[in-house]
Amino acid sequence: MFRRIIHAKWPGFTIALFIILLLLPPLVPRFFIYILGLIYVTSLLAMSLNLVVGHGGMFQFHHAVFYGVGAYTIALLLTKTSWPMWVGFIAGPILAALVGLLIGWFCVRLTRLYFGMLQISLGSLIWAIVFRWYKFTGGDDGIHGVPMPGFLSSLNSSYYFILIILAGSLILLYLILKSPFGSTLQAIRDNPQRCEAVGINVRRHQLRAIVVATFFAGIAGVLFVVLERSVFPDLLFWVLSLEIFIMCLLGGWFTFAGPILGAAITVALRIFVGKYTEYWTLILGIILILLIFFLPEGVMGYFEGAFKTRTKKVAERGNP
Amino acid sequence: MLRVEAVVKSFEDFLAVNEANLSVAQGEIVAVIGPNGAGKTTLFNLITGQLRRDRGKIVFRSEDIGELPPYQICQKGIGRSFQIVNVFPRLTVFENVQVAVLSQQKKSSLLFRPARNLAVVETRSILESVGLLDKSQNIVGSLSHGDQKILEMAIALGNEPELLILDEPTAGMSPEETFATIELIKRLARTRGLTILFCEHDMDIVFSIAQSIMVMHQGRTLIQGKPEEVRNNKEVQAAYLGGSDA
Amino acid sequence: MGFLPTFGPAELLSQLIVGLSRAMILFVVCAGLSFVLGVLRVPNIAHGSLYMIGAFATYSFSKSLTGSAGFWLALLLAPLVVAFISLVAERALFRHLYQREHLMLLLFTFALALILGDLVKIVWGAEYRSVAAPDLLKGSISMLGSSFPRYNLFLIFIGLLVAIALWLFVNKTKMGKISRAAAVDRDMVGLLGINVSWVFAGAFVIGCCLAGLGGALVAPTVSITLGMDHTLIIEAFLIVTIGGLGNMWGALAGSLIFGVTQSLGVLFFPQFAIVFPYAAVVIVLLLRPKGLLKSVW
Repeated sequence: MFRRIIHAKWPGFTIALFIILLLLPPLVPRFFIYILGLIYVTSLLAMSLNLVVGHGGMFQFHHAVFYGVGAYTIALLLTKTSWPMWVGFIAGPILAALVGLLIGWFCVRLTRLYFGMLQISLGSLIWAIVFRWYKFTGGDDGIHGVPMPGFLSSLNSSYYFILIILAGSLILLYLILKSPFGSTLQAIRDNPQRCEAVGINVRRHQLRAIVVATFFAGIAGVLFVVLERSVFPDLLFWVLSLEIFIMCLLGGWFTFAGPILGAAITVALRIFVGKYTEYWTLILGIILILLIFFLPEGVMGYFEGAFKTRTKKVAERGNP
Repeated sequence: MLRVEAVVKSFEDFLAVNEANLSVAQGEIVAVIGPNGAGKTTLFNLITGQLRRDRGKIVFRSEDIGELPPYQICQKGIGRSFQIVNVFPRLTVFENVQVAVLSQQKKSSLLFRPARNLAVVETRSILESVGLLDKSQNIVGSLSHGDQKILEMAIALGNEPELLILDEPTAGMSPEETFATIELIKRLARTRGLTILFCEHDMDIVFSIAQSIMVMHQGRTLIQGKPEEVRNNKEVQAAYLGGSDA
Repeated sequence: MGFLPTFGPAELLSQLIVGLSRAMILFVVCAGLSFVLGVLRVPNIAHGSLYMIGAFATYSFSKSLTGSAGFWLALLLAPLVVAFISLVAERALFRHLYQREHLMLLLFTFALALILGDLVKIVWGAEYRSVAAPDLLKGSISMLGSSFPRYNLFLIFIGLLVAIALWLFVNKTKMGKISRAAAVDRDMVGLLGINVSWVFAGAFVIGCCLAGLGGALVAPTVSITLGMDHTLIIEAFLIVTIGGLGNMWGALAGSLIFGVTQSLGVLFFPQFAIVFPYAAVVIVLLLRPKGLLKSVW
């Protein structure tokens, strides 16, 4: 009975939240709108990573590369070419997914740690090229002042755009997780050997998951540029990749919305802590250690686990 | 239907399977027996593709399957359950079997249809035939060991196999569960026209349902034949039965 | 920025020596990383931070005594300081995680890297530091038509020394053999009555100590800055990956490939020299995804 109430509440809750967030801009200082925008972008990035990590069980250690590729693609197209702007918006995720396909194709032939290390290697090569190719990518400085279409000229309109795209992406991700593709992916996470034995081509399925995940990472990259109007090589740096990993862990990587929570907490903390000290990295490290020792299922995972034990106890009382 | 000829497999210095031979005819129930370490599970792994043989032939329905990866062997019609319970621990009983059925229906990669509504009829019918329908919403972790072993079998059935390979299907079960499982196997073989290949330690079971028995010892095939032949064979008695059953 | 060579054999040889010396520093660090990876089966992300601490500690120690004696003192003490830090981290926190899945161990080393990185900022501040080479090793030697910095030759010598010492340790000492056994089968080692936890502690400390040594050795050759840890750990990871996980000779091979391709790359494409080693890594991995040499496990 508990279950049905919660399930009925969730859609209502999320719709209400969405409407509230939509109405915020006129009511709330600019700085908060900017932070929320940053949270949305980071959430999408974390959600895209969690598709392959939490639900797919793969060691995607350098996810930031695809985010950066998406961001740089739109930045380059909008600053260096005179093609219509919508091309940049579409090309970002597509190129990110193509790079994901390429890197993924090599990585899925390996397992676990090798998968991760190879991805770090290939991703670092791309970072090194972007970092050094000053003439093309702006090197260490990055690219600034990326022009945007008229309807995105203000912070508020960018906010709406990002929020709507985020909502749409989350709906798609939810559908994907609930589809046969998603349940097979989770089965592969839990027992790849068994999946092979029931006729699933595990490698091909994992590769498809990587392509989907990197596509959404590319969308996140495009949204970042909409918010910041600039790109820099840090977007492709391995430290960011591990930070997103931490966000998924923090939120709870076996839950659907855990990464969103993780991203929100991390971004909010970083901005909040940044006001008092410049040692944010130290704080992040301490948080991570606390997580590892005390909350390995993440915040949402902890609550879901507690909730499940309660419902199990209720059910057991009902059926002795 | 299945023919294993002179198959050899060694791990570095250890010769796990040494010229094993096996023949399984359509519709038969065949048992492989042998002491611990005789190479039975290794042989099964070679047949279903988890391991590559060093030498020898494995032929299924006139097709050499020795080089195929496990998922293709499954698609050819061979299903398998594992000795150590090998299920999907975070999914429900229903979802466990559903994964196999979806794979069989080639629907594993559908992106935007809810899995909840797909393959429901087939999955439920399998669960019903093994007696797990009432537990279909339980998470696997909460099942008893015996039920998990039956779930093993149910998952393998999801692929509508023609040859079902069961690796110690009653290991760790209580006597009542064992009896029920054996009856289940007999019924499945009959109603679904399955060919069954299994290995077991419990001799009572083996001799009660197997139509043909292959005896392995230290990786070699000693003999394959009807139960009576095997029981009376001197070599087998010396190596394994030791004069007493069970 | 042409591709046509504008250099002669003298420049080639000179750059080769530069590359070799750089490779030796990388080797010292990566041997440590490989050792930890081999025994604990975890890539130690904090390795770069420990290297950085080694460099900064060398700066502090070398300032404590006048003249060259400071450097030699630092060369001795900096690795010990790093070893001490790693011992504390291991005994206090790390060892409680040995039963957990490897991903957790990896994330712990990342947390450690984050914390140590900021600790360096707190203790030494954000400015560039520099360390002078000791008088004995200043200047160059002329031979074969070009001049070779003495310090580079010193690095090559030290690198070979470390390689030999490690080989002796792993193959000839009891501790080394136990470490090798623990890498392959930790349960078996435990059953033999050996305290596996201490074996891990020892391996971790030795590996980290090597990172500190690498930092001390590199100190006179570069500006010591924050961010050294980030660049180094990526390079170290790549080297260990192409060498074969846990294989120390592989670490040597990988370091040589990395160091030499970068230094030779400077001759051909100065602006993109940094890309050459990464490209070399990618090529090696495409041909042999599990590394050049066999992984320890």
